[in-house]
Amino acid sequence: MSLETLRPSPAFKDVLPVEYKDLVEHGPYNNRNGKDKQTVKVTDMGKFKEVIEEHPMCAGCAMTLFIRLTYIGMPNPEHTIVVGTAGCGRLAISQASVPFIYGNYGDTNAVASGLKRGLEVRFPNQAKDVVVMAGDGGLIDIGFQGLMHSWFRREKFTTIMLDNEVYGNTGGQESGMTNHGKVLKMAPRGKFGDKVDALGLAKVAGVDYIARLAPTNPARVARTVRRAIMVAREVGSSYIQAYTSCNIEYSIPTPDVMKDAFEIEKERYGFEEIISPAAKEYLDEVEKKAKKKKTDR
Amino acid sequence: MLIENNLVLTRSDPSGMGGTQLIYRVKNYGLTAVNRPQEEISQIHWEVEIIKFKDNTISSFEVCHTTELAKNTLKFYTDKSLNEFIEKSFQYFEELDSLEKMLPQDP
Amino acid sequence: MANVVGSSVCRTAVDEGKPEDWVPGGEKQKIIDPMKMFHELPRELQFITGSEAARESMRRANIDIAIAYPITPQSESMQQAGYLYDEGYIKEYYRAEEEIGTFSAISGASRAGVRSLTATSGPGLMRGMEAISSWPGARTPIIMLNMCRVINTPLAIQPDNIEMSFMLNTGILMLHAENQQDFYDFPLAAICASEQVDVTLPAVVSVDGFFCTHARGPVKVTPEEYKLPPRDGWRSAVPAMDNENPPARISRDAPIQKSNFISYHMHSSWQQEVFAAVERSAKYFRKYLGGLTEIVNPGAEDFIVASGCAVSQAREAVRQEGEQGRKVGLIKLKTIRPFPTEELYEAVKGAKRILIPEFNQAGWLHKEVCSVLYGRTKGVIKNGPRVYGGMTMPTEMILEWLEEFRKEVK
Repeated sequence: MSLETLRPSPAFKDVLPVEYKDLVEHGPYNNRNGKDKQTVKVTDMGKFKEVIEEHPMCAGCAMTLFIRLTYIGMPNPEHTIVVGTAGCGRLAISQASVPFIYGNYGDTNAVASGLKRGLEVRFPNQAKDVVVMAGDGGLIDIGFQGLMHSWFRREKFTTIMLDNEVYGNTGGQESGMTNHGKVLKMAPRGKFGDKVDALGLAKVAGVDYIARLAPTNPARVARTVRRAIMVAREVGSSYIQAYTSCNIEYSIPTPDVMKDAFEIEKERYGFEEIISPAAKEYLDEVEKKAKKKKTDR
Repeated sequence: MLIENNLVLTRSDPSGMGGTQLIYRVKNYGLTAVNRPQEEISQIHWEVEIIKFKDNTISSFEVCHTTELAKNTLKFYTDKSLNEFIEKSFQYFEELDSLEKMLPQDP
Repeated sequence: MANVVGSSVCRTAVDEGKPEDWVPGGEKQKIIDPMKMFHELPRELQFITGSEAARESMRRANIDIAIAYPITPQSESMQQAGYLYDEGYIKEYYRAEEEIGTFSAISGASRAGVRSLTATSGPGLMRGMEAISSWPGARTPIIMLNMCRVINTPLAIQPDNIEMSFMLNTGILMLHAENQQDFYDFPLAAICASEQVDVTLPAVVSVDGFFCTHARGPVKVTPEEYKLPPRDGWRSAVPAMDNENPPARISRDAPIQKSNFISYHMHSSWQQEVFAAVERSAKYFRKYLGGLTEIVNPGAEDFIVASGCAVSQAREAVRQEGEQGRKVGLIKLKTIRPFPTEELYEAVKGAKRILIPEFNQAGWLHKEVCSVLYGRTKGVIKNGPRVYGGMTMPTEMILEWLEEFRKEVK
């Protein structure tokens, strides 16, 4: 939460919850050199207090790793609101120390549109980042219309698709993002259509920053999230599509989850960024400034 | 806004279609202006009838198409044009009343 | 880039090439205490359509954001909202993709802590019903204007207020405007009531479409240089999701979302609280509207109970009965939620005959009245007259029913 609004008196410091103190003193809250660069490093994971720590996700879930990294990558978590929908992801997201709006199924990008515009009206001098984090079903199936129209309107928030290629939370039904021919519940003869080309749709819709990745390189996940949020703050819509396998429904042995991520990445989920000229110009400017600051010191 | 002189009743159009009816009265004659809902707002207009009252109650009247003012139902698309007509009709009703008084009365 | 941090609030208007010295209309207005606005300010009589009355209401309501999807007969009003946005009376505005998108987006806007307005009509309301029924539990003050329209097949655009029955048990505050004047007054009152800390609920002001929205009627409006105080997003039962204070935990805890005894308990107590808040809103509506009901000819033996356009028809029937020397009472229900149970009982407790004219097939108001009067009055409650599908209800119809009623119940 905003450290300006709620600033505990130093006299009460010793009675504050240790989680709060850790988050502010050692975690990603308010720990930045410049305006938007976290000082906490992904390589130090485990040594600092994270925005999300406890969660009820399945053992070995790649989605959980991705969500943890996303929260580390947020440039300004104390001014961020996450919007989610039904699905596995929200079980972890709802445990984070960043406000989470859990709406009706598939309403994320509409809710985020209203929320972001409302926050802009109310806080003209304080950037508030809105991030949608929802599953492949929540975005490409039931939330498709809201997703596409938020992009057409160039709404200034980030959409992150947790793509496990299945309806995990309801027990393993095929989704629009499932690959052709895959046998899953409700696809007893194998999925009919192809995996929806969400990246292509984002491109056609004019999304300013588009990225596809698997959580194989933690630092890259954090950097991509940061770039996407910064572009959404200043330029236009941004979209990240992350491969976050479902080891239960796809029967991936727990110790092999990361092996699977590397294999799928190599096969069809390689890191890709599609950046509009306006977003590129902006990112160059921001990143140059951050580098300069570093060398100045 | 419409003229409020001689306006004796403003009510919801009793046909039940929504809209508003205004009733003006000068002596035994008067006029009603009804404004009913239109799908296109630009088509909203006043439907005007010259009326002759039967007695002293407000809403007991019959439509009168025998005066020089109107041989049928009139339509006005603006308040201004209707107001001009209302002003003119008031004068006419006064004259009509005095003329009618000159006619031989039934015994 | 237009929307850099620290840019002015009305950035979109600036984007659209307003002159440098342009001042948004809303910034020229003065804030006034709601009670003064409702009861003390001088009023000017205008002869305008219901849609224009809604516009004048919005102009004075200090709306931050308006989002809607066009549908007949709502579209007249929401394009008027567009003009208000252009003039700077509404700060943010857009045409959404459809109603699920609209009502989800407006709930997002309300969660941001700003005053949020939307509007719809019958089929659009039904399309967005999932979102609407989640508003009260999320404790989002939202003002929705609903221009009633047929929802059943065959498709029609005519007035019929059956859609109101679908909202009765959602926890939303419901007002039913009789005419253009109510459609000016009620939204302002509903906004103020819905944003009270002990209420914090969405409100819908319904009006019978076309009959009121697309016809002109006399409306007394307050001077346009006065507007309501802005919404305070922190003065709320559930604080705004702005990351400025700890968020409400309704969307945070996994136990609330799963099937276990904690979740059952949470949900039941949460719902109890929502419906208790509906009842608590009554005191504000009494203040702002001068009562939840309006009573004509108290103490009469024959009583008409009505809401919406049916009140106007009943009013004329009462007047004509009066010309015949018969006293017929009329109780107009301004609010449907909270339902004015005690006011209704007090008004009709001595009545012999109670007639309930309605513009819908289901007779939802008849059922509501029966449920609160059951076992409490000796009067006979008549199920009708009812018209629907866009049919009209001439005054004669009510008069005939009254005459029959008097023959049936001596």
